[in-house]
Amino acid sequence: MRAGARAKLDSRHWFGKTSAGVLLGYTLAVALSGVIAGLTPGGFEGGNKVQFNMWMIAPLWATVLGFVYLFRDSWRAWWWLALANVAAFGLLWAVRSLAG
Amino acid sequence: MKIGTDIIKVYKDVHIWVGIVCGLMLFIAFYAGSITMFEKPLERWATPPSALSPPPPLENAEKLLDAVLAERPQAAKGYSIVVTPTTDQPARVIWAERGERPRQLIEYGASFAADGRLEVEKLRKAQTAQLVDRMHQFVGLPLPDDAARLIMGAVALAYAVALLSGLIVLLPTLVEDLFALRAGKNLKRMWLDAHNALGIFSLPFHLIIALTSVVFAFHDPFYDTQAKVLYGGEINWGEHEAAPTGRVPLPAGELLVRVQAQLPGFEVFGFTFQQREGGHLEAGVIGLDPRRGTRARTYMRTHLDPYTGEVDTHDLPGRMDGWGEAVNAFFALHFGSYGGNPVRWLYVLMGLAGAALFYTGNLLWVESRRRMQRGAAPVPQKRSARVLAELTVGVSLGSVAGISATIAAAKWLPARVDDLMLWHEVIYYAVFFIGVAWALLRGAGRGAAELLWLCALTTLLIPFSSLAGVWGIGGAWNQAGTAAIDLTALVAVAVFLLVARFTRRRMRHGRTDSVWSVADQRQMTQVVSKGALT
Repeated sequence: MRAGARAKLDSRHWFGKTSAGVLLGYTLAVALSGVIAGLTPGGFEGGNKVQFNMWMIAPLWATVLGFVYLFRDSWRAWWWLALANVAAFGLLWAVRSLAG
Repeated sequence: MKIGTDIIKVYKDVHIWVGIVCGLMLFIAFYAGSITMFEKPLERWATPPSALSPPPPLENAEKLLDAVLAERPQAAKGYSIVVTPTTDQPARVIWAERGERPRQLIEYGASFAADGRLEVEKLRKAQTAQLVDRMHQFVGLPLPDDAARLIMGAVALAYAVALLSGLIVLLPTLVEDLFALRAGKNLKRMWLDAHNALGIFSLPFHLIIALTSVVFAFHDPFYDTQAKVLYGGEINWGEHEAAPTGRVPLPAGELLVRVQAQLPGFEVFGFTFQQREGGHLEAGVIGLDPRRGTRARTYMRTHLDPYTGEVDTHDLPGRMDGWGEAVNAFFALHFGSYGGNPVRWLYVLMGLAGAALFYTGNLLWVESRRRMQRGAAPVPQKRSARVLAELTVGVSLGSVAGISATIAAAKWLPARVDDLMLWHEVIYYAVFFIGVAWALLRGAGRGAAELLWLCALTTLLIPFSSLAGVWGIGGAWNQAGTAAIDLTALVAVAVFLLVARFTRRRMRHGRTDSVWSVADQRQMTQVVSKGALT
């Protein structure tokens, strides 16, 4: 899409976007925290790594929620975040299978 | 940086609404958080002096312990031997017994009288710092912990979004706005410049505080979800400690020598002991390595084999694996528990600057809804702007005055009431709600000046209660070495009076078309009373 042709955003869809960011943003953050855990040393093992993995949810969740208002409307926010969830959980499954 | 105006508009709306909904709760959290930076000095200031005889030397700790166990066998389940007794831990041997209420633990300490008799005292560690910490953790909400924690977590998450949205709104004009403070006729411009400067320069601090607070609020649900999604149902927390196998624990003096040999630079506060099944002891060492940050705010603790004195170092900052060090750093960055008192004072200033960020944010909202006076006839301000200005003044200054009042009460309550925590809360909320009601009743301008006097007065009561202690009035006391608390309070009194003077000047001589003006308040009263007559 050309920059000039971009549809204008407005604040009307705040509730739909916020709820998408809170709910699907959370599940996305959990899945991505798992992907990060699987791809970094230590994987899913050890008390300290388990704590670190938990800490990763907050920045991921806040980032998704922060940028969710860039979607043009609520439906697009839900749709794209649902798709991102499918991709992230697929990736998590792959990472976990590889990690054994 | 070029960002579409529609995007700016959307994020401005997000920023404004999060600010309006969460700003005042964040003000309380930040102000109370600043005060908790010195929780230990505050606790020592507020703790009544112990009536116990001076603690016996560390070599005689076991003799004291045996005497305690002979008289109070239940102490054997869990006790500590204190290496460096302090005002809040005034005994060589301390233990906890169950109280009447569920999960209530009452701490006792013991010493030997001059004639060798055993003395036992119920310890009276002050709960003042704990109350201020509760205000901080639960953003000042008078709700049960679980409900308040949920709201606090939502506020913290929204606050992270507010930081991002504020940054997006500022980005296009960041270069020209960054070092500008245009103090002139345009008040909105000045507040905006002040708000932007505070926000952008403390952004890293605020991001850390916001994200760590989200974790503090939600770590249980986070772990529960990850247990299901990542770990196949159950979290494996790693290896368990091997049970100690010895028969006779080493004396505390010997444990201290062995710990110091293993942990040079680690200052030992004391040892804790727990009796496990089969009669063997589990032990921990509590202390502080001042060269490292700590996740436990004011101390570090780790396991210790009481039979060999061998320290399990893998829980100590500086000796953990990388992931552990990272998690330890997240905690320490929130608590400012690294670098000693200079960093603590820095965090006090950052916390107060944070409170100022929310205060100026609300004032901006008020200023941008201001109705300008065009002719000679004065214009009443919008109701929404008036109410928000009054709430901003009432909630902020009400919480400041309430915290000062409840701290000042610390030296009067123990001689008069049993449930200290309850009374501390009653005093805080009474002053807080009086402050809010007063601001709504008197208008933002007059209310602010008068509530600032109330802040000055309640804060002045803090050194007065110490003075009463020096003179032995009303059961108050004055602990040696805690004058810093009283001096800090005196400085705060001067600041409150100074701000009150500025507020009054603006109210009297500033423009009348403002929620801060006395004229606006008077006129509003006229409008209301006329409406009532007709």
